[in-house]
Amino acid sequence: MAHRWGMAVDLDRCTGCGACVTACHAENNIPTVGELQASRGRAMHWIRVERYFEGEFPEVSMKYRPVMCQQCDAAPCEPVCPTYASHHSEETGLNAQIYNRCIGTRYCANACPYNVRFFDFFNPVWDKPLHLQLNPDVSMREVGVMEKCTFCVQRITAATITAEAEKREVKDGEVKPACVQSCPSKALVFGDLADPESEVSRLAESPRGSKLLEDLGTAPKVTYLQGVEHA
Amino acid sequence: MDRRTFIKLTAITGTSATLASCGVPEHQLIRFVPDEELVPGIAEWKPSVCPLCASGCGLNVRVMMADVDITKDGQAGVVRMGVAKKLEGQESHPISQGGLCPRGQAAIQVTYHPDRLAQPIKRTGNRGAGTFEPISWDAAIAEVVGKLDALATAGNQKALAVVTGGRRRVLLDQFASKFGAGAPVTYELFSDDLLRRANQMSFGFAQLPTFDLSNANYVIGFGADFLGTWNAPVAHTAAYGRMRRGRPGVRGAFVQVEGRMSPTGASADEWVAANPGTEGVLALGIAHVILREKLRPADGGRPGALIDGWSAGLPAYAPQQVSTVTGVSAKRIERLAREFAERSPAVAIVGGVPLAHTNGLFTALAVNALNHLAGAVGQKGGVSFTPQLSRSTSPAGGSLVQLAAASPQVLILDETNPVFSAPKAWKVRETFQAVPFIVSFASFIDETSVLADLILPDHSFLEGWIDAAPESGSAQAVISVAGPAMKPLFQTRAAGDVILQVAGKLQKPVDLGAQTYDAYVKAALAPLGDDAWTAAQKQSGWWGELPKGVAVAPTPAEAKPAAARFVPPTFDGDAAQFPFHFLPYASAAFLDGSTAHLPWLQEMPDPITSAMWSSWVELNPKTAERLGIGLGDLVEVASSAGSLRAPAFINPGLAPDLIAMPVGQGHATYTRYASGRGVNPVELLAPVTHAETGTLAWAATRVKVTRAGEPDGKLVLFSARGELRENPREGETR
Repeated sequence: MAHRWGMAVDLDRCTGCGACVTACHAENNIPTVGELQASRGRAMHWIRVERYFEGEFPEVSMKYRPVMCQQCDAAPCEPVCPTYASHHSEETGLNAQIYNRCIGTRYCANACPYNVRFFDFFNPVWDKPLHLQLNPDVSMREVGVMEKCTFCVQRITAATITAEAEKREVKDGEVKPACVQSCPSKALVFGDLADPESEVSRLAESPRGSKLLEDLGTAPKVTYLQGVEHA
Repeated sequence: MDRRTFIKLTAITGTSATLASCGVPEHQLIRFVPDEELVPGIAEWKPSVCPLCASGCGLNVRVMMADVDITKDGQAGVVRMGVAKKLEGQESHPISQGGLCPRGQAAIQVTYHPDRLAQPIKRTGNRGAGTFEPISWDAAIAEVVGKLDALATAGNQKALAVVTGGRRRVLLDQFASKFGAGAPVTYELFSDDLLRRANQMSFGFAQLPTFDLSNANYVIGFGADFLGTWNAPVAHTAAYGRMRRGRPGVRGAFVQVEGRMSPTGASADEWVAANPGTEGVLALGIAHVILREKLRPADGGRPGALIDGWSAGLPAYAPQQVSTVTGVSAKRIERLAREFAERSPAVAIVGGVPLAHTNGLFTALAVNALNHLAGAVGQKGGVSFTPQLSRSTSPAGGSLVQLAAASPQVLILDETNPVFSAPKAWKVRETFQAVPFIVSFASFIDETSVLADLILPDHSFLEGWIDAAPESGSAQAVISVAGPAMKPLFQTRAAGDVILQVAGKLQKPVDLGAQTYDAYVKAALAPLGDDAWTAAQKQSGWWGELPKGVAVAPTPAEAKPAAARFVPPTFDGDAAQFPFHFLPYASAAFLDGSTAHLPWLQEMPDPITSAMWSSWVELNPKTAERLGIGLGDLVEVASSAGSLRAPAFINPGLAPDLIAMPVGQGHATYTRYASGRGVNPVELLAPVTHAETGTLAWAATRVKVTRAGEPDGKLVLFSARGELRENPREGETR
C-alpha cells in the first residue's frame, strides 16, 4: 500500500523550547557552520521555530510555529528542478531530494515559499572526535547540493522493512521522526495520511487545523492546529 | 618529462614514502582487537541519565559500531567499538517521559567535544595562564593524597575546602566531613535556595515543588520559566501538553505575570506585566479578593500563618492598593481572583526572576499562601513535593564570600564555574588564586578549572556510572541511575571512583562504605529493597513508593511564624544615574553558561530573538526609540559594578524600564566554540544578596544604557534570512 506520510503540529502544546531543532541536527548529520557563515545566512536548520510578536507592551502576545518542509503534494520545488533531484516519491508521498542528482542550481530554494531548503556552501566539517556522533543511516551532503527535511526517511524505511519482514502493515505511531520523538509536550504527531484511522489523519480533519500558506495551492502535508478554537 | 623518467621517479618517491612511514610509529595504522560484539549497522539501545541540569532525565542511548582513534599503552591506533549516536528521552522514565529539552539533545557533544581533556594534567606556568603538562594517574592521585595527608598530619583538616555545583555533593560531603573538613560550598547563579527556604517554612519541605499540570484547569505563573529553563522543564512541559490538549473537552488556562516575556510566558493565554519585585503583592491581592468574596474557605493553614494580616483578611492588599504598587488594574485583579478560585483545580507557580529581588522570600511565601487558599497543596492539579530518599548530609556549607576568610590550603572543585558566574565583587578568582593547592575534576578548561594545579578529568556521563536524585517533576520518588553506555574514549577516570580511591589511600583512610562509585550508588539504593538496583539499571532509574522510614519527613512549623509583609525591593544604583532595572536571564541554550561549549546549542536559534553564536541586549521598542537605538546597534550597558558592550535587540515583550540580557556567553576560556564570544552580563551584577539565605539577588542591579556605535555584525539572527509573512493570525480565519 502506498503511504502518504504527514504531520500535525499542535500549536496549543508547543512551547517553543527548540528540542526539535537540536534533535534534527543530531539525527540528520546537519553540520554547524559557525558564526561567520551563519551571519551570511548559511546556517542550516531543517526545522525552525518561528516566533511572531503582536501588540505593544503591556498588551503584547507571542506565538511559536515550528516550520519544516511541508512535503507538499503540489510542491513548487519539484517542477523547477532540471535534474529531477527534487521529485515526488510515489511509495511514500514524500517530496524527496536525490543528492547525487543535484547540481546546485538552487531553483528549488527560490521556488519554495516556506524557506526550508538549504544549500551546502561547503563540505561539512566536524572537529574530531565530534564525527563519532554521525548517524550512519543518513548520507552526508557535499558542497553544492540542496538539503532539507526528509521526515526522517531513514526511520520510515527502517520501520517499513521491519513491517514487511513481519508481514504486517506499519502501525500508527511506529515511525517517529527525531523532532516528533524529542518533543516533550507531544506537540508534533506523525503518521500516514493514507490511513484514515491514524491520529494524524484525525488531527488533519480538526476544526482547529489549517495549512501554512495554503492559498498558494501547494497542498502541504503538515497541518497546524491553532491554540484556541474559533467559532 | 618522458615516460621512462616518470616511472623512475614514481618508484623512488613511493619507496621513500614507505620507508619513512616504517620508521615513524604514528604513521602505522594499528588495529586493536575489539572486545565488544556488535553487528555493523544494527543499533543497540542503552539507558543513561542526562547530566546537564539537576532534573535528572532518563535517557535512551543509541549505540552503534564505529572506528575510533584511541591510544592504548602509548600506541596510537584504531579500534572498532560501540559509540553513542543519539540521545532520546526514556519513554517510561517519570521525568523525561520520552522527551528531552534542546540541551539534553545536545548533551552527546560533551562526550565527543574536541577540546575535552583526555588525561590528567598538572599546571606548569603561572596560575591561570592555562599551561599544563600531562601527568600519570598514579602520580596525580599520589599528589592529592600527599596534600591531604599533610593537612591531616598538621591537624589542619579544616583547611580543606570543597566547592561543588553538581551531582556528587553527597559523596563529597561525606568525604569532607569524615576527613574533618567543613561541608562543601555550593554555588549556582540561578540558585533556588530561597524558594527551598520558603517551601520549608510554608510546607515543611526544603525542595523545589512539582506541579500537577496534567490535571490543572487554571495556572498562574509568577515569573517562572517552568517550560524552558527552570525546575524540571521536561517533566513540566510534558504535563503542560496534557493540560492544554490531553483531556477531551477541557483546556487548562494559563496566565503568566512577569516584566519580560519569557519563552514560557509566550505560551500563556494572558500575559500580565507587573512592576519588578511586586509579584507577591499581586498574589496577596488575589488572595484578598478570594477572602473578601468568600470564594474559597478562608483557611490559610501553615503558609497563611506566615503572612502578616492573613487572619484579618489581608486588609493591606485591597485591589486598589495592590494596583498602585504592581501596576495591574484593580478590575483585572478582581477578575483573576475569581477565575483562580472558580476554575479549580488551580495552581500558582513562582520561581526565577521574582525571587531574585531582595524581597524574594516574601514573594515566595505569598504565592505559597495563595496555593493553600486555592486548595492546591498536595491535591490533584496542584503542587506537591517529590518524596526524597533521606541520605545523611550536613547542612549546606558557607558561601563563596566566606570561603576567603577561611583561607583554605587545599581546594577541591567539582562541576562548578563560579569565576564565570559569581559577581566580580565576591572576588572568587582572587580567593582561588590564594589557595596553595587546587584540584579539579573538570572535563574542560573553563574560567575556574584553569586556576587548578591538577585537573583529573572525569569520564563523560556516557562512559561511567551516572546518577541523579530528582528533586521535583514527579509525584512519586525517583532515583535516576545508569551504567556506562560506551567505553571511555580517553585516559579519563570516573570522578566518583577517584574520590573513593583517594579516600582509601590516605594515611588515615576515610571509609565511605564502597571502593567504587557503582558500589557506592548501589549501597545508597539498598533501602529500596533487593530488586531496586537491578530494575534501575534496565530503565535509567528506580521510581515508586518509598518504603516506610526512608523518606525525608516534613519539618515541623516554626513556633513563632514570621509575619511576612511587603517591603519594596531595594536595588543597587541610584535611579537617577541608572534608570533601568537589569534582568540577566537563564538562556534557553546555555542556562548559566555551563553548556556554551556545545556547538549545536551555539547555533540553535534563541526562541525569542532567533540569535545564534551571539550576545545581545534587549530593549523595549519605545525605550530604544527614545535612546536612538536600532536593531543590531552597539549599546553600552553600565552599572555600579562595571560596563559592557553588545548589540541591541528590540523586544516588544519587555517593560520599558527593563534591560534584559541572556546569560551564557562571554567566556574568557571555555573551549574553541565559546571562548572570547560575546559578553557576560554577570559582570554587571552588584553583590546584592538575600538577607535570609545569603544567595545572590541577581535582579537587583540598576543600569544605564547608551548607544555606542553602528551595528558591528555580531548579532547573528536566523530569522534575518527572511521569514514567512509576519502575520501571527495566519491560518486562523478558515
